[in-house]
Amino acid sequence: MDMSGEYRIEASIDQVWAAIQNPDILKAAIPGCEELDKTSDTEMSAKVSLKIGPVKAKFAGEVELQDMIEPTSLKIQGEGKGGIAGFAKGGADVQLAADGDETILTYTAKAQVGGKIAQLGSRLIQSTAAKLADKFFANLKDQLANT
Amino acid sequence: MTKVSMTVNGKARSAEVPDNTLLVDYIRENLRLTGTHVGCDTSQCGACVVHVDGQAVKACTMLAVSAQGSDITTIEGVAASKNELHPMQLAFKENHGLQCGFCTPGMIMTATDMVERYKAAGKELDEQSIREELEGNICRCTGYHNIVKSIADGASKMNA
Amino acid sequence: MSEGIGTRVLRKEDKRFLTGKGRYTDDIVEPNQAYAAFVRSPHAHAEINGIDKSAALAMEGVVDVLDGHQLTGDEIGNIICGWGITSKDGTPMNMGAWSALATAKVRYVGDAVCVVIADTKAQAQAAAEAVDVDYNVLPAVSNVLASMADGAPQIHENAPGNQIFDWEIGLKDETDAALAGAAHTTTMDITNNRLSPNPMEPRSAVATYNEAEDHYTLYTTSQNPHVARLVLSAFYNVAPEHKLRVIAPDVGGGFGAKIYIYPEEITCLWASMKTERSIKWTSTRSEAFLTDAHGRDHVSTATMGFDANNKIVGFKVNTKANLGGYMSLFSSSVPTYLYATLLSGQYNIPAVYADVQTYYTNTVPVDAYRGAGRPEASYLVERMMETAARELGVDPGELRRANFVQEFPHQTPVIMAYDSGDFAGNLDQAKAAADVAGFEGRKAEAARRGKLRGLGYSNYIEACGIAPSAAVGSLGAGVGLWESAEVRVNPVGTIEILTGSHSHGQGHETTFAQLVSDRFDLPTDNIQIVHGDTDKVQFGMGTYGSRSGAVGMSAISKALDKVEAKVKKIAAHVLEASEDDIVIEGGEVKVKGTDKAMGWHEVGLSAYTAHNLPEGMEPGLKEGAFYDPTNFTFPAGCYICEVEVDPKTGVTEIVQFTASDDFGTIINPMIVEGQVHGGIAQGIGQALLEHAVYDDDGQLLSGSYMDYTMPRADDLPFYNVNHHSTECPGNPLGMKGCGEAGAIGSPPAVINAITSAIGNNNLSMPATPAKVWAAINEVSAAQAAE
Ligand code: FES
Ligand code: FES
Repeated sequence: MDMSGEYRIEASIDQVWAAIQNPDILKAAIPGCEELDKTSDTEMSAKVSLKIGPVKAKFAGEVELQDMIEPTSLKIQGEGKGGIAGFAKGGADVQLAADGDETILTYTAKAQVGGKIAQLGSRLIQSTAAKLADKFFANLKDQLANT
Repeated sequence: MTKVSMTVNGKARSAEVPDNTLLVDYIRENLRLTGTHVGCDTSQCGACVVHVDGQAVKACTMLAVSAQGSDITTIEGVAASKNELHPMQLAFKENHGLQCGFCTPGMIMTATDMVERYKAAGKELDEQSIREELEGNICRCTGYHNIVKSIADGASKMNA
Repeated sequence: MSEGIGTRVLRKEDKRFLTGKGRYTDDIVEPNQAYAAFVRSPHAHAEINGIDKSAALAMEGVVDVLDGHQLTGDEIGNIICGWGITSKDGTPMNMGAWSALATAKVRYVGDAVCVVIADTKAQAQAAAEAVDVDYNVLPAVSNVLASMADGAPQIHENAPGNQIFDWEIGLKDETDAALAGAAHTTTMDITNNRLSPNPMEPRSAVATYNEAEDHYTLYTTSQNPHVARLVLSAFYNVAPEHKLRVIAPDVGGGFGAKIYIYPEEITCLWASMKTERSIKWTSTRSEAFLTDAHGRDHVSTATMGFDANNKIVGFKVNTKANLGGYMSLFSSSVPTYLYATLLSGQYNIPAVYADVQTYYTNTVPVDAYRGAGRPEASYLVERMMETAARELGVDPGELRRANFVQEFPHQTPVIMAYDSGDFAGNLDQAKAAADVAGFEGRKAEAARRGKLRGLGYSNYIEACGIAPSAAVGSLGAGVGLWESAEVRVNPVGTIEILTGSHSHGQGHETTFAQLVSDRFDLPTDNIQIVHGDTDKVQFGMGTYGSRSGAVGMSAISKALDKVEAKVKKIAAHVLEASEDDIVIEGGEVKVKGTDKAMGWHEVGLSAYTAHNLPEGMEPGLKEGAFYDPTNFTFPAGCYICEVEVDPKTGVTEIVQFTASDDFGTIINPMIVEGQVHGGIAQGIGQALLEHAVYDDDGQLLSGSYMDYTMPRADDLPFYNVNHHSTECPGNPLGMKGCGEAGAIGSPPAVINAITSAIGNNNLSMPATPAKVWAAINEVSAAQAAE
């Protein structure tokens, strides 16, 4: 499953770059995120609770930031296990571009789900994932606006 | 755990059950009325249909605690007496409306409800309406041919 | 007597089902019962690095958590495929190891890794979520084309390129020569869509180990409890046969899915010994989609050649079949002997050749589902015939007629020797019943309403009552395919019939009683059918392949012969008459032409009191028989489907479905028609709605009734079912079998009707509105381009 999107964020490119590595901001931005801890400079572990169609699950997972080219691009790679609900994994290529005082963020992402979420929720995953991504970036915007 | 009390097939029944107990599990496991079946886990097959306060309900979509105080009829309680069949049961027998019998209790509970509703609304229960009303009941054996005939026959028997 | 052969007797078994008193496996509760929940792989292909059970073991109510190493440590054997196939090059098929609980590797989503045993179902399920399995995820393949591609991941080490076997049948050189010299050839690529069988009762098992007697009891949803016992003891080493009782009580539909002995039954039996608890497991529908053996899933290319007179000269087929992650019990026989042997259809074809390659994929095993191989064959043959007729510009019914086999016995180039039939008679009956003559008028009328109306034929033939044992043995079958029966006449004259067949919707309690009623002129109320319990019935092969009539009832008939002979001897002795003058009628055993008679019950009593029996006769009145058929039986028929397609939406409505079947002798027309209705519904389901879909990573996308479209009442019409029979010469009753015909014959009729309506032969099953709409637009686009 592939997704992509573009967002305009009212913050400088450096602020945005810092924000997507800040566990507190990320935790607030990721929909359903209950815990998020940095385990190294580029790695975090997270607990996220999500509902996809009829399946509600708590995912425990690892997130890694790769190929970082400050402040314009990076790759976010993640994998989460949701117990009997299955698993989700995916990666997003994120590009940042300054546009005056603001920043344009574009991303393309690939996601794969398995187990019960795929079995029962496959029809809903694309739309749910797109919604979640939208929510994430909207939250990120809010977080940046508040700081 | 919560104590639930309800009338089932005319008898007062009560038990302590975990709050997340489904009505269908309460009926099958606690009351040991195993005529109500479970054919799916997404509320689509209709094998579990019972009547709650006179209306057909998929017992897998309701918690036992939500049925507190209700009047429940299961397939074991539709006939007027032990030695008789309900007219709808008889119609299924006479029209060969069942094969493996697994969907049958749910079909009969859905059918009697359908007949009552159409009668109350003064509507005619024709073949097309029967087929549409069976949207929530799956049968893998009969191809529905004889089920539709059974329900039409059962309707005239019930209205006779 | 009004309850004999050919009578519409209402079913004896109905009352318990109508009143909620049926006894299915999940209804059974044993004292000291615990519940099993399986930990299943969410990955289609992965290595198991480790299993952490500690959290689960610490949870409330958990009795134990058992894994594959413990299972193999107790020497529980691998699950086997019971039909060996030899490849073209003489090598045996590559059967990969399948342990009931995976040890090193999982090969499909749903593959069982551990079992949790707990006091309640909820506790077992909760603890199963807490078992932490560490997987090393491997790349996966979910279809044959991906599986056979270069560089595809290897699913079993002993199957290079994932190929299980490469098999052939028929006359290769003759077929090639015939096609080369043909005046016209028709070639098509045809896919047979993968299906999930979906009997409404999910699989279930209740296993009990009695330590004091070192004895096991298994209640299970099986179509063949004796085969289950045999396999569980001889191959899986769960318990010796005499220490294992298998009972299949009321079973809520099978359709093939309940033939096999699955990992769960094996595990529950073993776990009951390990934990000294009765173990109950009942599949959820989600688990059923993941783990019940699927059906079909063939990809084929076929070429049929005709001479200048439109006679078929040759037929060549290549098929690639997906058998899933492991080889299920009969999986290898389905795309071979149950499929390619029927590729001659109802037609006189001098040269037929088929080769079949089968592959492992990371999907649930594929095995027999209602029809098993024969629907794939008839779909191929009948779509070819219809398309060829359109290409040749001749009436599709008449092209078939010109090629029908008319003389019997008829030896085809692909093993089968058809013994009887009147294919033209079925065609004529179906055409009359469907009012084919009036079709053009109906079509014009539909066009005025903006609808596209089409009519499609299917002239199917199938092979049932798989037999004889020696022949199937020589083709690789691991079992004999006979049936047994025992007839017990009680001292009061009532009769028990013990049969190795199993009824899970087929109404044997009624039809088998009718057979006895017919023979002895007794009411069916006095006759009881006993089946489904290995402690009661000595042995049997169960019910599948439409075999219970032709094989199971033939065994009963043979046993009845023996009872009849003994009854006559006793009566002749008591009544002082010649055996030849004894007749059995109206509840009496009489001397013809006299008023000397004994009541039927008096004969029974005499046999047991043994006060006055002929010299040397053993007391009692109980006879058994084993019946091994001499040939397959060949049910055949003609189905005509008429559809209306809405060109704006692509929605297909089946407006008329007509069947003319030849099942040989019919015991109970009401029950036979019911079998046909159900089979047609499944066939229409395959043609229009049903599809088991995996994504490229091996995740099952159609895993619930939200995404797997089961036929509902408003998807289906009333069916116009007719019979035109020829007697089967191969068995004493003349029966052919009716259980699968509907599912075998109907899919090509539906697709042929739609393709005729829309004028595009390029359409695959299921013909969803989206696909039909696209096919309509393909035609309009092509027309616009011209
Ligand atoms: S069990 Fe309730 S609808 Fe299927
Ligand atoms: S009779 Fe078997 S599912 Fe309806």
